[in-house]
Amino acid sequence: MADLTQLYDAILNGDHKTAVAVTKQALADGAVAMDLITNYMSPAMDEVGRRFECEEYFVPELLLSGRAMKGALELLQPLLAASGATPAGRVVIGTVKGDLHDIGKNLVASMLEGAGFEVYDLGADVAPEKFVAAVREREAGLVCLSALLTVTMPAMRDVVDALKAAGLRDRVRILVGGAPVTPEFASEIGADAYAENASVAVARARQLTT
Amino acid sequence: MSAGPTEARQAVRDALAHKQSIPVPIDFGSTAVTGIHVSVVAALREYYGLESQPVKVCEPYQMLGLIEDDLAKAMGIDVKGAFGPKTIFGFPLADWKPWRMPNGLEVQVPGDFNTTVDSNGDLLIYPQGDTSVQPSGRMPKGGYFFDAIIRQQPIDEEHLNWEDNTEEFQPISQQDLDAIRVGVSEASKTGRAVIASLPGMYLGDIALVPAPFLKHPKGIRDIAEWYMSTRARRDYIHKIFERETAVAVANLQEIYAAIGNSVEAVFTCGTDFGTQRSSFCSVDTFRSLWLPYYEEMNDWIHKHTSWRVLKHSCGAVEKFIDSFIDAGFDILNPVQCSAAGMDPKLLKAKYGDRIVFWGGGVDTQKTLPFGTPAEVRDQVLSRSEIFSRNGGFVFTTIHNVQARTPLGNFIAMLDAVREFNGAN
Repeated sequence: MADLTQLYDAILNGDHKTAVAVTKQALADGAVAMDLITNYMSPAMDEVGRRFECEEYFVPELLLSGRAMKGALELLQPLLAASGATPAGRVVIGTVKGDLHDIGKNLVASMLEGAGFEVYDLGADVAPEKFVAAVREREAGLVCLSALLTVTMPAMRDVVDALKAAGLRDRVRILVGGAPVTPEFASEIGADAYAENASVAVARARQLTT
Repeated sequence: MSAGPTEARQAVRDALAHKQSIPVPIDFGSTAVTGIHVSVVAALREYYGLESQPVKVCEPYQMLGLIEDDLAKAMGIDVKGAFGPKTIFGFPLADWKPWRMPNGLEVQVPGDFNTTVDSNGDLLIYPQGDTSVQPSGRMPKGGYFFDAIIRQQPIDEEHLNWEDNTEEFQPISQQDLDAIRVGVSEASKTGRAVIASLPGMYLGDIALVPAPFLKHPKGIRDIAEWYMSTRARRDYIHKIFERETAVAVANLQEIYAAIGNSVEAVFTCGTDFGTQRSSFCSVDTFRSLWLPYYEEMNDWIHKHTSWRVLKHSCGAVEKFIDSFIDAGFDILNPVQCSAAGMDPKLLKAKYGDRIVFWGGGVDTQKTLPFGTPAEVRDQVLSRSEIFSRNGGFVFTTIHNVQARTPLGNFIAMLDAVREFNGAN
């Protein structure tokens, strides 16, 4: 039987190769996918978030852990789908129209996946209508919007307005973030919450979807 | 009133020497981190009633506009920039040609500024102007500037070769040296203080890692992969930095022989260490992975020249400032006061006698683009008061002035600096 603490350690230490190898071995040994996520992967990502919050970890460590977690998760996702397991929530995420920056958005997506959310990443430079279509198609409960630029930040309001116009606003919660974004701006455009970093985004997502 | 040419240069020299400088010197447009978007430059020319002419795009990545001498005089600018020999897309600022911005504004761009439009309506730009290779920059439809297109070849961990990441660090060519010499000479003639942007000394500037200037970049060129490498492939990064530093020191000797002490400052490094609320690494990592190389380059400069060295880093870098000083940097830009821990009073009190603040004048994320003229005035007066005491301050905005910045706010900013200077 694989030593599953190695899975926890591999994700915490950003060791993609070991995370994948241990997960493969665990599945071959008969481990249950949801158990691996609940008992090892999510706690590891929570610890990554904690270390980021207290500045023991920085963006490089977050990226490494996120990649290790994703590698393991890719092996588990077909099994989760087959078992009909319920995710913590369904999230549509993207960087808004006119903005090509995606590192912050990718970090949030990774952390949310690590926390058990089903994440539909629309990428960068995403038009409001694409967010609307994805929310409808995926029956998402949460939309996460990212912007790095002062000049693209107003496009967040366009997404909020598009969701309202499509009659979907009451069905989804909206979380915004990115360097120039502030809690005041989030409130002004009618978003539900603001997160200052990827770790806080997970906490907000949990609050918004329960 | 603006200072005249000789006084302008002296005001900057005084500021750099931490002597009380009256008036506080002003910089706009001298570097790629103290610039103004071409659309705002065009609006300023119209506002001041200057000769109507398409503005030259002197930095094609962020689409910054050249501030010609007539506009510099009208704005009371005290610094003149000598740009590097080539733009970030690898072509020189030469052979100007007319070009129309996506919003219809007529501008001038360098002759090798060649673009195509993709099926999405995005604008694509090419390294060295060569449209036969993959584009290296993209301006989204309706956008105002370019971002790098990541051209990362698949990474084979077993065969990663650090030398692939050093194609851009080469002995300076005679052509580039001549371009720097001419640029500095022309800038000096203005009578304003001169800051020269020097290539190849940045150590992992994330805007340059994707190498938008190379036709076929090799090695680690993806931004996320680079960040991860600073943690997981430190030997690889050390090797790159060793090469970059060795080449830079050799090039510095050539550059100094060409321009001597005719510049007040040099801009060598735009590598960001701060984020809005945190940083990209710990101070310990900075001191072990970056500092020795910066120190070697800056030591050479300080031993052989009178140049002051400007370090640009966005974000929350308060805890890095001692290390920047230890590394030999003399000037910090853009002094992002809105980031965590970057309180102006604290910065001035703690570091003001040891490092020059070239920036911090007004926030460009919130106040300048979205505030009222009164809010802009208040912030400019407050920042000028705090940072200018005992010198050590060159007024400019916190990073480049963005497109769509209201002209009224920009003028309110300049009026407030004049008001401050008049009152002192």
